[in-house]
Amino acid sequence: MTGIKALLGITLLAGLAACSDSTPNFVADARPARLSEWGLFELSADRLAPLPALEVVRPANPLFTDYAHKLRTLWIPDGTQATLVNNEINYPVGTILSKTFYYPSDADGNVVKVVDNGAREIDLAAARLIETRVLVKQSSGWDALPYVWNDDETEAFLRVAGASRSLSMVDAAQPDAPATQFAYFVPNENQCSGCHTTEHPDGGMHPLGAIASQLTASAHDAAGEFRPQVDTLVARGWLDTAPTGPALASFEDLSLGLETRALAYLNMQCGHCHNPKGAADTSGLVLTGKHVTRVSTGVCKPPVAAGGGAGDLQYGIVPGDPDASILHYRLASTKPDEMMPELGRSLVHAEGVALVREWIGSLSGACGAEAPLSSAAD
Amino acid sequence: MPSLFNFADRPSYSPTPARSRRALAAAIAFGVTVTACAPDEPVMPELSFEEALQEQLITAQPGDVIEIPAGVHEMTRSLSLNAPGVTIRGQGIDVSVLSFKNQIQGAEGLLVNADDFVLEDLAIEDTVGDALKINESENVIVRNVRTEWTGGPLTTNGAYGIYPVQSKNILIDGAVAIGASDAGIYVGQSTQIIVRNSRAEYNVAGIEIENSTFADVYNNVATNNTGGILVFDLPNLPVQGGRNTRVFDNEVVSNNVDNFAPEGNIVGTVPAGTGMMVLANDSIEIFGNRFADNQTTSVMVVSYLINGLPLDDPNYDPFPEAIYIHDNNFESGGENPDFEALAMLSEATGQPVPHVVWGGAIMPDADGNPSKTASDILCLGEGGMTFSNLDAMNGFAAPSFDLSPHLCEQPRLQEIILPNDLTGAE
Repeated sequence: MTGIKALLGITLLAGLAACSDSTPNFVADARPARLSEWGLFELSADRLAPLPALEVVRPANPLFTDYAHKLRTLWIPDGTQATLVNNEINYPVGTILSKTFYYPSDADGNVVKVVDNGAREIDLAAARLIETRVLVKQSSGWDALPYVWNDDETEAFLRVAGASRSLSMVDAAQPDAPATQFAYFVPNENQCSGCHTTEHPDGGMHPLGAIASQLTASAHDAAGEFRPQVDTLVARGWLDTAPTGPALASFEDLSLGLETRALAYLNMQCGHCHNPKGAADTSGLVLTGKHVTRVSTGVCKPPVAAGGGAGDLQYGIVPGDPDASILHYRLASTKPDEMMPELGRSLVHAEGVALVREWIGSLSGACGAEAPLSSAAD
Repeated sequence: MPSLFNFADRPSYSPTPARSRRALAAAIAFGVTVTACAPDEPVMPELSFEEALQEQLITAQPGDVIEIPAGVHEMTRSLSLNAPGVTIRGQGIDVSVLSFKNQIQGAEGLLVNADDFVLEDLAIEDTVGDALKINESENVIVRNVRTEWTGGPLTTNGAYGIYPVQSKNILIDGAVAIGASDAGIYVGQSTQIIVRNSRAEYNVAGIEIENSTFADVYNNVATNNTGGILVFDLPNLPVQGGRNTRVFDNEVVSNNVDNFAPEGNIVGTVPAGTGMMVLANDSIEIFGNRFADNQTTSVMVVSYLINGLPLDDPNYDPFPEAIYIHDNNFESGGENPDFEALAMLSEATGQPVPHVVWGGAIMPDADGNPSKTASDILCLGEGGMTFSNLDAMNGFAAPSFDLSPHLCEQPRLQEIILPNDLTGAE
């Protein structure tokens, strides 16, 4: 849709619908029970579309969430502007981020595993809405609100305690394979902060997708132009200065080396907890790619409090041997007490596990009795 | 009314359980009235007990008391609390039960990241992972709380019963921890700790203080575990240098359950029949305890190196020092050791394994000589127990049974007093 058409769309809709509005409704210091109260979307019987005033964004390196597709929006109130502080985007009060999780669906009621190409609106005849998470910048900081769509897809309700949905998934790439049954979990608000509070426990929540290193990546803007998303924000007057520096490496970027991709993957999926200040620092495992010692990435590192998550294995990573590596075991597990990440998935991210598997397989060295380090032990 | 969805062509219709789009399509096809802005209000879903409880935990304000009624309450997902100043209170340790038998999500039963927290008078049963994890919290009281895996000691049980980590001012009082596949009561990377009047049974480790400082462990019963009470310090962790723990007036009896920890975990190396084990900690005082029928040994003091694990941490001290064991009541034990070196020792002497065994490793100086004396490492007061230095550094080649280098005292450690402990020590 071109900019002019989008503009016409607004006018038409505004003309048709008495209650329609061209901008979202920032609700200060309150937590509306209904998603509609934020006024982010145009919802009709057959589509859910962000207001044209919103910017649709795509992070460079997205989190895996059971193959759900994600429609992400950003809106900054008129007359305000985000500023670049220490090369990071500092959003003004009133900024509203949303992320709608949905699946393409088939005629039999299955959801479909297929690559998310970043649709700018959702065709409800061919999709199933699950949840819309709203991250809003209040004067006190970011607030996370999980809204869960009703079965009729007429409204999403605030569910601070989260929710679950039983889904049946078919793989578009393997049409003859049987469907996979799984429970999709909408996180509760504490679980939201499990990822969005990267400096645990006293740091505030902050976005993980709409940040400088993610939005430096190029994407198509509303007019169809492919350019760095931060440039789009600057052009709109929503951001004072574009950040410098490269976009976050994407694990899907096949032009990058194996280790770069693997560490990018682990950083995005795990680094929000497994960083030196994160909730998982208790484990001593650092997966941001900014580790100081090799052992802190898991190489020849015995587990600390992994319990059954250790999978009867001795070390986080055994170089060259993914099947002997706890890291691989936990990524490939779907048991709630064993799997990593602990949240955000019920399914195995096969493509991610394959990448980590290949990376571990490429490492050289050994642990334990075969390793030179063992000479320190008696 | 604030800005709504733009219900441009939204039909008015009552929500039905049927999936919407097809229903809607039919409605439109049959010419149901379409109004722009006044659809029937979609109905807010009702919350289950579990959802309502989690919602209470999220919206709680400081000073709130969240009551758990009597009965068994089935939980399917982890509960979590991040709000400070909250008390969660049941009606009794066997009366109010949060049962996670059918848990399908979450690595814990209850996860707490909140200061000034009190949990009391309830039970958490059969979680898939840890029962109660308290992370990075200050001023924590866990009182009259039971954590239990009801199927007995199984490897598939969750790792920890009561698990405060990276926390401060922790009081665990009157707790009961049963069936953990790692430790029943496990305090890790924390400081200012009291564990008292509690019972740990059928866990791999009954009570474990790990990478922690300033702990008092007293008036507890540790029985039928693999190891009764463990005080450990491990490498490659953000908080290490475990020291200053007093273990006194405990009943440490018949901890002979086969080790059922999943492989790979450090407690998986603890021999069945271990009354107490001190690993790599400094300044530990053990007194007034009763040790009986722990069939490997009553007290084992060892360095981290005894595990034969690789060690890559220049900031870590693997050697125990200033361990003071005095005025305990050592009864039977050591008659059926689950540790090859000790079994050979027992066979060679025709005697049970001594009450107190020490690996014998001492931090070497730059020239490779011991940097400390035996009495710097381990004092046994006036004796009154059997003893062996295992000579583990030399492959257990020349164990010694001579107490005399250890007939010494260490400075008594100070009582732990917590600001949040209004009852004080008994």
